Amino acid sequence: MSTQKKRAFQIEAFKHRVVVDPKYAEKTWKVLEHAIHEIYNHNASGLSFEELYRNAYNMVLHKFGEKLYTGLVTTMTAHLKEISQSIESAQGEIFLDELNRKWVDHNKALQMIRDILMYMDRTFIPSNHKTPVHELGLNLWRDVVIHSSKTQARLLDTLLELVLRERNGEVINRGLMRNIIKMLMDLGLPVYQHDFEKHFLDVSANFYCCESQKFIETCDCGDYLKKAERRLNEELERVSHYLDPRSESKITNVVEKEMIESHMHTLVHMENSGLVSMLVDDKYEDLQRMYNLFRRVTAGLTIVKEVMTSFIRDTGKQLIMDPERLRDPVDFVQRLLDLKDKYDKVITMSFNNDKTFQNALNSSFEYFINLNARSPEFISLFVDDKLRRGLKGVGEEDVEIVLDKVMMLFRYLQEKDVFEKYYKQHLAKRLLSGKTISDDAERSLIVKLKTECGYQFTSKLEGMFTDMKTSHDTMQGFYAGQGTELGDGPTLSVQVLTTGSWPTQPSPPCNLPSEILGVCDRFRTYYLGTHNGRRLSWQTNMGTADLKATFGKGQKHELNVSTYQMCVLMLFNNVEQLTCKEIEQATAIPMSDLRRCLQSLACVKGKNVLRKEPMSKDIAEDDAFFFNDKFTSKFFKVKIGTVVAQRESEPENLETRQRVEEDRKPQIEAAIVRIMKSRRTLDHNNIVAEVTKQLQSRFLPNPVVIKKRIESLIEREFLERDKVDRKLYRYLA
Amino acid sequence: MTLVDEVEVEVEVEAEASVPVKKVPYGDIFEASRAGDVERLRYLLETGVNVNARDQWDSVALYYTCLVGHLDAARMLLENGAICSEHTFDGDRCHYAALNLKVRKLLKAFEARPPPLEPLQAALRDTFLACISSTQGSICSHFPPDVVFIVQGKRIQTHRVILSARSPFFKKKFTTDWKDRNEVRFSKERLSYPALYSLIHFFYSDRLEIAIDDMEDLVRICKVCRCESLHKVIEKELIHQKYADYKALGNVDNSQKRYILQGLSLPEEDRLPAALHRILLTALSNSTHESGQEDKLISMMDAMQMAKSVDDLADVCVKVDRNIFRCHQVILASRSEYFRARLSHMKNFHEGKHEVSVDTLPCLEEHDLSKEAFEKMIEYMYTDRLQDINPDQAEEMFDVASRYLLFPLKRAVADVLLPHLEMVSLDEHCHWLILADMYGVVKIREYCLDTIACNFETFAESKEFRAMLLTLPPPSGDSSLRTTVPSIPGSSLNTDQGNLLDDLREKWLAIEAAELDKRDESALQFDKRLEMLMLVAEQEKSSHNADSDYAPAFLPNHHSDLN
Repeated sequence: MSTQKKRAFQIEAFKHRVVVDPKYAEKTWKVLEHAIHEIYNHNASGLSFEELYRNAYNMVLHKFGEKLYTGLVTTMTAHLKEISQSIESAQGEIFLDELNRKWVDHNKALQMIRDILMYMDRTFIPSNHKTPVHELGLNLWRDVVIHSSKTQARLLDTLLELVLRERNGEVINRGLMRNIIKMLMDLGLPVYQHDFEKHFLDVSANFYCCESQKFIETCDCGDYLKKAERRLNEELERVSHYLDPRSESKITNVVEKEMIESHMHTLVHMENSGLVSMLVDDKYEDLQRMYNLFRRVTAGLTIVKEVMTSFIRDTGKQLIMDPERLRDPVDFVQRLLDLKDKYDKVITMSFNNDKTFQNALNSSFEYFINLNARSPEFISLFVDDKLRRGLKGVGEEDVEIVLDKVMMLFRYLQEKDVFEKYYKQHLAKRLLSGKTISDDAERSLIVKLKTECGYQFTSKLEGMFTDMKTSHDTMQGFYAGQGTELGDGPTLSVQVLTTGSWPTQPSPPCNLPSEILGVCDRFRTYYLGTHNGRRLSWQTNMGTADLKATFGKGQKHELNVSTYQMCVLMLFNNVEQLTCKEIEQATAIPMSDLRRCLQSLACVKGKNVLRKEPMSKDIAEDDAFFFNDKFTSKFFKVKIGTVVAQRESEPENLETRQRVEEDRKPQIEAAIVRIMKSRRTLDHNNIVAEVTKQLQSRFLPNPVVIKKRIESLIEREFLERDKVDRKLYRYLA
Repeated sequence: MTLVDEVEVEVEVEAEASVPVKKVPYGDIFEASRAGDVERLRYLLETGVNVNARDQWDSVALYYTCLVGHLDAARMLLENGAICSEHTFDGDRCHYAALNLKVRKLLKAFEARPPPLEPLQAALRDTFLACISSTQGSICSHFPPDVVFIVQGKRIQTHRVILSARSPFFKKKFTTDWKDRNEVRFSKERLSYPALYSLIHFFYSDRLEIAIDDMEDLVRICKVCRCESLHKVIEKELIHQKYADYKALGNVDNSQKRYILQGLSLPEEDRLPAALHRILLTALSNSTHESGQEDKLISMMDAMQMAKSVDDLADVCVKVDRNIFRCHQVILASRSEYFRARLSHMKNFHEGKHEVSVDTLPCLEEHDLSKEAFEKMIEYMYTDRLQDINPDQAEEMFDVASRYLLFPLKRAVADVLLPHLEMVSLDEHCHWLILADMYGVVKIREYCLDTIACNFETFAESKEFRAMLLTLPPPSGDSSLRTTVPSIPGSSLNTDQGNLLDDLREKWLAIEAAELDKRDESALQFDKRLEMLMLVAEQEKSSHNADSDYAPAFLPNHHSDLN
């Protein structure tokens, strides 16, 4: 507290006591006010920043902040009022220009003022909860200039008119537009939204409502969509050029709502140009456009999807139910594949590979393929056909493609076990008659089935292939060991088939000609000699034979026939004429088979090695057959196919069905037992549900059948009903 | 501090506070933390309390907050730099004590973030980052860079001064090869952009952050730039890293790992403040002191001459009280908003007009400022330090700090002034109180109010105090509100508008009136007492001319009145 220190204080203090001058505040403010005027008049170059800042600083420091602030507000308001008037007086076109120019000026001035008054901005304003200078300037601009009664409406009208003119194809000054909109945004989002965006959206909605009405009356669907798309793009471009990005979703919503959503149904169902006709005519571009536009609105795609689904279902149903088509299974499946291809292409090209569309397509196919109970058979036949002959000259990849497509259809099938049944039959035939074209293709299909349905599904099919292989080896062994003893006798080729793997119906062997019988016996002894404890039975209904025959004029032919046919033909070595009845007795071939084989021997043109009286297609028991001396053929080898029932006849079909049903029973039972074993107790409905789930990959079990199976299991004491709750079953281990 | 915002802290504070928050208007930082009194805490932190201080039980404030589970308070402490790293004594305790998972999560989130930078580093870092971000946009609200490096096709915009200050290599280059170039293109493949960027970022902020994979590049660059201590540290770290990889056996993916180095790990002379201090010293030695001539033209000539000795890289002259200081625009602009505005407005105002020659440095003239104060101020701006300040200068320093918007400087000056205040007279207390209130120096203001409240009777007897009462605005009227819900002095952002007498009353009540339910009465008594004192002061003033030995006779009566 030395006096010296004290004096030091007073000297320092004195500096700030300048303020004792009562007019200090008034004077300083005058200087600053003058500066603000000069800044607004573009005369700032005469001012000293440092001095002004110091003045403002001192004012705030000496608690004249309030005065400075109110002074600023008043001065700025006064200037803005002038500006507002000059803007209002601007005529016509230059109105926006003037507004923009003044806005730029104001911004620049505002920044300078803010920097001069920075000390106030940093200390006085936050502690007194006032509006910062910059914000204040914007607010005043908003209140005084933009919201002045004359300008507000005029600005909005001008802007909207410009937009309208642009929509009508005129070129407008986008830069100016952007600046003005930017100004509105700078003034705060509420200003932009309330003063412009809201009205803009309303006007746009009106505009597009009218326009869409006009278009829908005059254009077809494709054109309409093109126009809608163009409008949408225009609006997007507009937003990117001069609107707030946040408006994008709003304005597109308006366009979508007016142009698409409100006309959605009309468009899709439009006569001659709607979705259906687009699908029929493969208009990928239009479809794509429709997809892209409809995707933007809620429920848009659902409508497209529904219409497409119902259309596919209808076409599919027609195809499936068309009796014409049912005649030719191969063509039938080919058509299905074509249909599938067509829609796959539509979905990839136009619908952006949309998963939901793919699902819709799949479900429609599943729906109509299963409408026809014979679909599994037909698909198998198609495969059979392809593997028999259709794949000649086709590359390996193409084979794969065809097989993949078939697998796709296979996936739609509910009764996969029926397919398996047929496939097994067809495969057996192919293998035994050696008609498979490509082993690889066969195997690859089996691998596909395996991945699709599991090991169980294909184990038997694979067994068939193994049998073929071992038979081949056995035959080689047979001939290697006994070849010399056999001499010139007929060459025998035996395929040893494992019972169970093959779809054989036990049929009594026919009477083989004695020449063959000898060899057969030799083979039997050979085979049983190497394999102990096996039983061989001959499946004569499945074999083939090559015969050398000499005809009337001495021409020689080699006939490729089935075992049955061979038996029949061998009879004619000794006699000239035989009736059907006699043949049956002599060969013991079942009548139905015999008929077929006689038909193929006598009734097919070019292969009629037998002559029949009377000459008719049908075979009656009393018909007489002769050796046809006059048989001629261009080829040395003549292949006489059995008239194979390509499609099963009705009774056969029923029979297969029955067999399938029979096969299903143990599967259902096994499933029930599996489930009950793990669950111990379960009520009826749940069992049905679980069984269905387990077996779904193979077939759709019928609840009634399941119930029967349960009852049967109860009888056999696998299960029992709960004593209290009759609906509950218990597992008895 | 942009960095703090970058790290997303994903702890949602639930709307209803689980613990009812108690108010402790006069508690210390530990009490406030324990009570979760955020407002008090904010006030305390603003006055510059050490957030990592330990109390008599060796506990830090954060520990108490975590223990009780006040999320808001914990967040505030953490944001103000409370240590919460698990490998420190305090941090570990906090983690251990955390009430629930939410607190733990908060700690974890902050653990990952580096401690806040000092004001100098933070300011320069912001400038640097602003240069980077403004490469896209054309609007530059920051200070523009004066040299651009182009490495691997990417631009790094920097300022010569900073680079020269930190690296002898750049210093040499800028005085020789790159003297007149605004753009330097590196075409060497070996120079990697991330490494150079990290290094330059380090130059600005004293904080190195680099991906492990880029460290080898950085070592090379350091060697070239002759940043020896940094080079040493990083090389060592690299060896560690290799060893760690070796230990980990498997192939560790280092691409995500980053290495962070704080400036504190370097010797002091290699840190940013020291480097800038050197720059400042050279610049000052080139500045002319006491250019005697009043003539403006001559001083302009001086400036022109000075411009020729460019090895200090100064790019602006500041003329204060007939002295010319050579300074660096980047640093002025980064530290003070005033200078930023001033430098960017050169063209618009009068000052920019008489810039004639290209060789001359632009010159700013500052009035109402002593040469000494300016020197102290730029010292603080360059180094964040304040050395040997004379308490006599304090007032002017407060003025400078306010005027140039250097708010941290106020606190620094206050720290120097505070010990001195303990031995000043009553009337000086009054003087400082008024000054502190005027310049918004919270720390000093609090100190003076405390002293006055504690020794109220002594002050009441002093003439100067009574005279001061007259100059102050009267206390606000609604005393009932004030006393039942005690106001928290630090609650508003800035205290200098807070009514001094109101605050004084609160202080006094806290000391004198113990019982809360009797506070209203006490407050009324205090107001009455003040009125009396003012009345006395009034009379003293009017009779000042006539007779000064008049008033004291009244005092004893009032005194008894109060009790």
